[in-house]
Amino acid sequence: MTRWMQHTIGRRGWQPRNQAAVLLGLALILALVFAGVYLSQVASYAATNREISALIEERDRLEFANEQLRVEIASLKTIPRLLDRAQQLGYRYANPSEVQYMVIDGYNPNRDQTVVDLETRDTEASAPQYEETFGGWLQQQFDSLSRQFEGFGR
Amino acid sequence: MTSATRQQSHQLDTINRRLPVVILAMVIGSALLLLALASFQWLSPEVDREFRARGIANTTSVETIPAERGMIYDRDGEPLAFNQIEYRFGVSPNLVTDPALVARELALILDLDEFDIYRKITNTTSSWVSITDNGPVSAEIGQEVLDNEALTLATTKDRVWRRFYPQGTLASQILGFTIDENATGAMGLEAYYNDELAGRAIDEIISTVPLYAPEAVDEVRQEGMDLVLTIDRDLQFLVESRLAQYVADNSADSGTIIVMESRTGDILAMASYPTFDPNNFVSEDAELLTTPAITDAYEPGSIFKILTVAAALESGTVDENWTYNDTGELQAASIVVRNWNEQAYGVRNATDVLVNSLNIGVATMAMEMGPDLFYQALRRFGVGALTRIDVSGEASGLLKEPGDSDWSESDLLTNSFGQGLSVTPIQMITAANAIANDGLMMQPRIVQQRIAGDIVQNIEPVVLRRVIGVDTAHMVRDMMVQVVQDPNGANQAAVPGYSIAGKTGTAQIPNAVGYESGTSIAGFIGFFPADDPRVTVLIRLDRPAGYWGSRTAAPAFSDLAEQLVLYLGIPEDSVRLNLAAQGGQTSTVR
Repeated sequence: MTRWMQHTIGRRGWQPRNQAAVLLGLALILALVFAGVYLSQVASYAATNREISALIEERDRLEFANEQLRVEIASLKTIPRLLDRAQQLGYRYANPSEVQYMVIDGYNPNRDQTVVDLETRDTEASAPQYEETFGGWLQQQFDSLSRQFEGFGR
Repeated sequence: MTSATRQQSHQLDTINRRLPVVILAMVIGSALLLLALASFQWLSPEVDREFRARGIANTTSVETIPAERGMIYDRDGEPLAFNQIEYRFGVSPNLVTDPALVARELALILDLDEFDIYRKITNTTSSWVSITDNGPVSAEIGQEVLDNEALTLATTKDRVWRRFYPQGTLASQILGFTIDENATGAMGLEAYYNDELAGRAIDEIISTVPLYAPEAVDEVRQEGMDLVLTIDRDLQFLVESRLAQYVADNSADSGTIIVMESRTGDILAMASYPTFDPNNFVSEDAELLTTPAITDAYEPGSIFKILTVAAALESGTVDENWTYNDTGELQAASIVVRNWNEQAYGVRNATDVLVNSLNIGVATMAMEMGPDLFYQALRRFGVGALTRIDVSGEASGLLKEPGDSDWSESDLLTNSFGQGLSVTPIQMITAANAIANDGLMMQPRIVQQRIAGDIVQNIEPVVLRRVIGVDTAHMVRDMMVQVVQDPNGANQAAVPGYSIAGKTGTAQIPNAVGYESGTSIAGFIGFFPADDPRVTVLIRLDRPAGYWGSRTAAPAFSDLAEQLVLYLGIPEDSVRLNLAAQGGQTSTVR
């Protein structure tokens, strides 16, 4: 401890400018690296956010267009309008005496409904398939890393 | 020099002795401080929670992501209720570089006062001010704001859903409406199925710090279920337009029509007049915001006699050979019962009782049955009890029974012809439909499917109970056919070529001192084709100028039935039976 103190206090007056400059330079480089990483992350985040905002706006625009169409279709299909249109085209209500009923061979109006079990089918479709191996995953990571460095230095 | 060297050596010795102590003290002090900090921050759960919460609050905001309310369709998939996007706008004053320009553009698009907006933006220390204080604006206007480059940076938008009923007043009393910005169902189906339609919103935690990943949310947002109704939009339109006509033609105050599929209990159409527009219910008369077909209990009058006759036949008190002597007056239980026209009819059988709508006849039947059997039968028919139809606001009606403090023996007589008790139109048609359906009472229902994403849940028709035997049902049905065919009955309800089973009713309207003078509730209930019923129909007209059910509701029934047979594709009886003999099948609604 005494030797350490002597060494430290004894060298207080000495100013190793080269050493300080090196240390300062290192600190500056470190700061620049951190700042660069931070800035790149923030820039990437901002760009992603901008893309998301654009997509949200596009979604809103499409939903709005869909809604406009839905309202338009609904108003075109309202019964008073259909009746007016039918009358314009020359249609009118039928009288009971004008209706003719007939037997169609083989037609059964009471036939059973065909029911598709959507729930079961949906569950099967959404069941995840795990075919990946550890080796395959490692290869995938390596390929991904390689792709990132492919454009480096061009 | 020597002295100075000695002194320096002495000082170094002193430092050498004291320094370890100082270092040790500092290390112990630091350790204690660290321990105190650790115990304060981690060992105390309350403090830990508080600091975590403060930390989260500083770096995140909570955004509620609402679920889209489910749509409502008729039985053919025509939309009856869906959602429209609307926007609420605000401005962040800190981001406004030219307040005058922003105020001018917003005022122009939103049709607001420019100076008000300018004042809001400039006279605030807040980081955000609301612009659309008068409520959200339509998506069309919202899109103009979003497309305006001068407003892009400073304006914020919130999307909200507004319920929209594309058919206007059509089926509004069934659908109901929603209130508040969360679109909470307040009436009809919207209220009854509010939980299913509303889905589940989630609160998502959004990071306000660029490098933080969004917080994982355990909850799953659940879109509202879609509902498919048993209501047929075209039939509903037909019924509503005809009802308005009947009310006008008969100078009635109001009216109700229900069309029920006889075999399933499905409500194909249910309408009351006057009605309201659910897109604009705020400006409507509050009294109109109900579903009279399920909420308005009334004394049913003579249409109730079919239940009394059915009960008497089922109990064995009355059969096809049963007769009584109608003297024009029946004195019992301290009251005098008279027929509707105060005439005496002599010796009559059960069919005559219904054909001529004889109060004395059904009162005699009730007396012969006795209160136990009579009220037991009425309970089986569901009188005085909720039908539990899936629409909000149903009333149970009123049935006094022996043992109740306000029941007296005279009630047995008056109840037999539909006085002194009350039923809702839906109760009455559900009970009468049991006669059409060979004695089986069906659960009336409005919703036949619930759809959640790809999952379709079918709701099957439900048989509530057997209220009378098949033979009894057929006997009452035949009597009701006689009612419509006999010139003394209700032949105004007849439709040429079709067998109709029905019964008229003319109910007096009770008030505080007895009954209103000169006013009535005219009604008709019937089903057809009588031998294989497809639909059961109830018509009620309140205070018609023609007073009698046979003069007002019965002709209305005939007119409506003529339209219904065309729409439902029901051939005339002779054609239908001929087709059936050839192997044709016509006994489904569609």
